[in-house]
Amino acid sequence: MRLTDRARGLALPVAACGALMLLWLMLPARDAVGRPLPLSLALGAAFGVVLQRSRFCFWCIARDWFDRGDARGMLGIVAALAVGAVGYAAIFGAWVPDPLAGRLPPDAHVGPVSVTMAVGALVFGLGMAVSGSCISAHLYRLGEGAFGSLVALAGVLAGFVAGFLSWNTLYLWDIHRSVVIWLPAHLGHAGSLALTLGVLGAAALWLRRGPAADAAPGRWPAVTGGVLVGFIATLAYLRVGPLGVTAELGSIARTGAGAAGWLPVTLHGLDGFAGCATLIKQTVLSRNGVFVIGLVLGSLASATLAGHFRPAWPRPADLPRLFTGGLMLGWGAMVALGCTVGVLMSGVMAGALSGWVFLICCHAGAWLGWRLRPT
Amino acid sequence: MIKSLPFISALAFIAGAASATEGPLVTTEWLEANLDDPSIALIEVSVNPGVFERGHIPGATNLAWHSDLVDPVRRDIASRAQLEGLLRAAGVNEDSTVVLYGDTNNWFAAWGAWVLDVYGVEDVKLLDGGRALWEAEGRPLASSPVPATPGDITLAEADPTLRARIGDVVAASDGGGAVLVDIRSNDEYAGRIIAPEGLKETAIRAGHVPGAVNVPWAQAVQEDGRFKSPEELRALYAEAGVDGSKPIITYCRIGERSSHTWFALSRILGYEVRNYDGSWTEYGNAVGVPVANPAGTVWTGL
Repeated sequence: MRLTDRARGLALPVAACGALMLLWLMLPARDAVGRPLPLSLALGAAFGVVLQRSRFCFWCIARDWFDRGDARGMLGIVAALAVGAVGYAAIFGAWVPDPLAGRLPPDAHVGPVSVTMAVGALVFGLGMAVSGSCISAHLYRLGEGAFGSLVALAGVLAGFVAGFLSWNTLYLWDIHRSVVIWLPAHLGHAGSLALTLGVLGAAALWLRRGPAADAAPGRWPAVTGGVLVGFIATLAYLRVGPLGVTAELGSIARTGAGAAGWLPVTLHGLDGFAGCATLIKQTVLSRNGVFVIGLVLGSLASATLAGHFRPAWPRPADLPRLFTGGLMLGWGAMVALGCTVGVLMSGVMAGALSGWVFLICCHAGAWLGWRLRPT
Repeated sequence: MIKSLPFISALAFIAGAASATEGPLVTTEWLEANLDDPSIALIEVSVNPGVFERGHIPGATNLAWHSDLVDPVRRDIASRAQLEGLLRAAGVNEDSTVVLYGDTNNWFAAWGAWVLDVYGVEDVKLLDGGRALWEAEGRPLASSPVPATPGDITLAEADPTLRARIGDVVAASDGGGAVLVDIRSNDEYAGRIIAPEGLKETAIRAGHVPGAVNVPWAQAVQEDGRFKSPEELRALYAEAGVDGSKPIITYCRIGERSSHTWFALSRILGYEVRNYDGSWTEYGNAVGVPVANPAGTVWTGL
């Protein structure tokens, strides 16, 4: 009897790992521009395991801080940003020996800073509060059996379509004059890293005033999770590209809505910006697509083994909230060219001003959502 | 007789190794054996960002096609001063052998070879098979570029006779003073489509320059991306009526794939060839020039 229970308990993690292995074997070695697809899948799986085990959910972390002054999760984010910033700086030193020469590092998410982008980040933060998660956390929660996240993700797709529909107007009004600021181009590699670590260090000192507490059962301490996230981000940038979770969702939305004839034929300037590129899909499996699949399967394997897998369907009353929150996440991520992962983390690690602006505005949006929440 | 076979093959090998630096192409094998040779300046021209940084042939310097080898403001090749500065930073000396290679079948590396030819750089070679073959053969890659010792090369003024302009193309079409080789797909040549799917630089007329022959660029390479043998290339182009007896002008859509065919005809076969870098994006948009459009596709703005 006990054996059957254990066998049943192992069925899901074994299935998730089996699916990962099968995909790993079936994927083409490289995509059209030479990036290794199986590695992208593996990094996605590792990211999923770490997010799930360390509860690396931007909204949960922000809420712990707003509700109780519990800063453990916030320190996890600080750790991720610091480790990633060091990793990126090591790579930049090799790839862009002279940062003052006016050339940006290849593919790094050094995005445009504009009013639109700041508003997008704010709306994204509000969407986190409304839907209960950011996009990456909705993805890892799918692996924990939170099927309500599917409704939120459907809202995200719709939000992306809304973003594409508003893009041309916003571009001509504001985005065309946005500025791309890469700190190493002004301060050098060492200066940029020193400033980044200085700000993060000061934030950590300030946050540590709160009460210390241990991680919840079965969870890794948030700082451990953060260090691992920073490590995965560095490996991903070195071999595949900066971390991000919205490129594939955006591409699906753009390809689908484009095929249905809803979108303008041209989205001005969009494909020229660095960030979570939302290109028209040419192939079924993109590097970001397999990363996201890996994330969900990695989280599923991790959650089932840790006893965190609790299949739950959303209550009908929650559906409008989940969808609307997702809509805000999608619109914000589209006009800001990414989310808490692609713009905030991959941006701050890369020394991009856009990452810091997203961090501040998204946090402000989350706080606003927390203040305005129905009690 | 049988005993002498190893001797003959050793001789052939030595001859092959020696000739690797004499012709316009170098093999991956030769390049790997000569990576430490200070007289070689190795330059990668890949069009996809991040390709060079994530792994390049050790010792190579990166040139970005979109900003280094063209003028980013006006539509033109890179200026002499800009290119000279970049080549010096890449360690190119007056007596250097410049070896170029890149992604996407060496198209952009071939563009580099053509631009260097226009500026009078003598000893320029392509790595046969490009990045794709180097990677397929599992040869080593480096991901930490090492700054080169600055070189002393001085470029000549751009030689306008090595570059075809739209007037030259119209004159060749009207008067037959040169053979025109259109290296685009047959669908573009025949006017069934104006540009391949997904490409935004396009034209408002379909077809080709009257009198041009169509030899798609890919016919010049083998399956692994290396050029076909000179004999095969000679036969391929002769079949289309291009035998080197008359000057040749190559063109494509934006001028980079036609550099690849320029390389085959000019550097491998030794014919007199000019590349028309304006290509169909200029010609197919020009007012009042002759156009042949066998398929009769009418541009409707869609």
